[in-house]
Amino acid sequence: MSQNNPNLIAGPLERYRVLDFGWVLAGALPGMILADMGAEVIKVETRQRMDYMRLGRPIIGDEPDPEQHPLFHNVNRGKLSIAVNTTKPEAIDLIKGLVSHCDVVVENFSPGVMDRLGLGYDVLSGIKSDIIMASISSNGQTGPLRDLRAYAPSIGALSGLDSTMGYEGERPLGLKHAYADIAGALHSVFAIVSALHQRERTRQGQYIDVSMLRATVATMGVGLMEYELTGNVMAPKGNYDPVMAPYGNYPSQGDDAWVSIAVRTEEEWQGLKTAMGKPAWCEETPFESRYSRQENRRELDENLATWTRARTAEDITEQLQANGVAALPVMGAEDRLFNPHFKARGLYSDIEHPSLGTEPIYNIMWNLEQTPPSIRRHAPLLGEHNQQIFGGLLGMGKEDVARLEEDQVLW
Amino acid sequence: MTFSLLKGLRVVELGESVSAPYCTKLLADMGAEVVKIERPGVGDQAREYGPFLNDQPHHERSGLFLYLNSNKQGITLDLDTPTGQEILGELLAKSQVFVHNLHPTEMDRLEVDYEALRTHNDQLVMASITPFGLTGPYRNYKAYDINLAAAGGICEGLGSPDKEPLTFGTPEVGYFAAMAAASSVVIALLAGQGQHIDIAEVESMAGIYNGPEALMAVYQWRMTRRTGHHALDFPYPNCILRCKDGYIFVGSPEGRQWRALLEVMGGPEWAKEGRFRNRTAMNNEHADEVDGYMEEWLLQHTKAELLVLALEHRIPLAPVRDFKEVRNDESLADQFAAIYRPDTGPVSFAGPPYSLYPQETTPPSPAPLLGQHNSDIYCDRLGYSKEELVKLYQTGII
Repeated sequence: MSQNNPNLIAGPLERYRVLDFGWVLAGALPGMILADMGAEVIKVETRQRMDYMRLGRPIIGDEPDPEQHPLFHNVNRGKLSIAVNTTKPEAIDLIKGLVSHCDVVVENFSPGVMDRLGLGYDVLSGIKSDIIMASISSNGQTGPLRDLRAYAPSIGALSGLDSTMGYEGERPLGLKHAYADIAGALHSVFAIVSALHQRERTRQGQYIDVSMLRATVATMGVGLMEYELTGNVMAPKGNYDPVMAPYGNYPSQGDDAWVSIAVRTEEEWQGLKTAMGKPAWCEETPFESRYSRQENRRELDENLATWTRARTAEDITEQLQANGVAALPVMGAEDRLFNPHFKARGLYSDIEHPSLGTEPIYNIMWNLEQTPPSIRRHAPLLGEHNQQIFGGLLGMGKEDVARLEEDQVLW
Repeated sequence: MTFSLLKGLRVVELGESVSAPYCTKLLADMGAEVVKIERPGVGDQAREYGPFLNDQPHHERSGLFLYLNSNKQGITLDLDTPTGQEILGELLAKSQVFVHNLHPTEMDRLEVDYEALRTHNDQLVMASITPFGLTGPYRNYKAYDINLAAAGGICEGLGSPDKEPLTFGTPEVGYFAAMAAASSVVIALLAGQGQHIDIAEVESMAGIYNGPEALMAVYQWRMTRRTGHHALDFPYPNCILRCKDGYIFVGSPEGRQWRALLEVMGGPEWAKEGRFRNRTAMNNEHADEVDGYMEEWLLQHTKAELLVLALEHRIPLAPVRDFKEVRNDESLADQFAAIYRPDTGPVSFAGPPYSLYPQETTPPSPAPLLGQHNSDIYCDRLGYSKEELVKLYQTGII
């Protein structure tokens, strides 16, 4: 695939243009998704303070290179990039000029930065009355935690998410994934497209203030309701479910290989027994009912592990699924990359990037069958589209853009 | 809190557990009118999941159900009958959106199929949320939350190297499939054509959480091996440590933040050692040793004191809070709303995670009792007479 995919059909959001100040992960994802859906997404960057995801060690050579970060290539594919030096008033005017051509503005700077730049919602809605602006932050644009320096793991801690993740009776471990960034970004996308839906009916613009903490809290249904309804405060219990047993990741044949197995109904329990060849221990009193299996889950886990240990996770998965039992290997990134199901589904596309060649970039698997999302181009080079955007939208000539680049206004 | 961004949108949900119900909750909280279909006499399996009000199990007192289904109307309908199927068609003819999470084998059995359903409404937007999607070799595989987390990449990095990989403490994967489906539905409406949307729960994890990691793996950058409470290949600190009254997340991705933290700690001597100059090496090679130095100081301070220091010195410290502490955080108080229902009294739920301006809000309504709105929907919307309603009830259709 070269720069632009000629086989693309029009995306569902192709009539919208997005000015994307989002960076790192939470801020970059909404623009990525909107771009895959066909919107023209202009990433506003600056050499003054580069997107962290452009930094880090290079793949080729030893010199830092902002075009070599694999994470950046994933979450910024499909976007166009302009480099704008926001410390110069002239640059702020140029951005305002672009706003009048845009439908959506996304940003995740620390609260107050957009106002300080003179680009707050009041100003932008003065330029374009029906602009939709989404501000994503750790803890919201107001309130006592607004200025707390916080990242995804901070929100995992503050939201209660981490309080239930760990082995029983041991310390909370903390999730290694950016749960809060993604929860914040996905709620933001939903609010943005809902605001577009409203605008189609009413011509009304919208300011959207999304807190990653609140987004994560909204997904804490069981934990919060447990406290609300019973006063109980949940603590780590390992792999545990109140209505299922077995429920866990069990050792399988191979080096650090594991398989997840979960049984809810009596039918599934019979399926598991059949798959295992009905071993005698299954008929013992501690395992005679859903209730007793849950009560005696540790003993159950040990017995089950004696069977799983002697087989590969893949074989166990096949045998159990054939008997109507939920099982799947614990998979790593490479496992997914080469997995036949994910291959058949098209979880990754090979996208060519000028600095690193062909790379597997994951697709956003929101399969709208008539207007599917697709990766429109590789992640942009820093400032790659200065001429295209300022020429195309503001009518600036090549010399004007070149002069502004030289004066470090477009920089 | 209910907004009006999706006012006028009519949605039908045939959902169980988390994924489809949270999808339509998102739509309902934005102002859509959601009708939830449940199986007569049984209902959504979230009704048996709990937690239950005062620990007294009852299908009308399940916290998970009450949370995920507020702001909806509820009806009962048996789709295993031809009359039930017909009524579903009539309902979809008067709606724009249909969201379900039937398993693909159930879809086949009940003939819930987009081409068939669109004969009732050619502009219908239908979202099918299934464990592995509607195509591919795992189409008919079964999965619960832990299986989706395992295949989706959550478990491989969570836990100690010498023990089993862990998963979330509570069911979470469904929320991500729900967000994918809710946005997709609105995007399809914006595109202006009826269509079918295929959302796989496993991909809502595997794609968005770990997609980049496949690329990292290509370049031999691995981030997710199980390393206990430490993260691999990050500058130290990036972990949860003990403090006086519990645990605290301590991070410092920027050098400035680490220097500020050391200063607050009184400039300890150990930090001046040459082997601690490279913080990534410090993390990968000496984390346990440094934890000891850090905890010696942290154990003298409470979570509340550390949060004050974090704000004052702009250091990323964050208390690990349990659900009682989250619920009692005053800065989150306006996210929660007490919803009153005669049989439960007032119960507080988390509301939408966004503040919107300009926007008028209305208070949310409680989750429906099983079949609570049968008469409103069947008689008032679909035009059945009271006699017909009684007959539908007596024959077990509703």
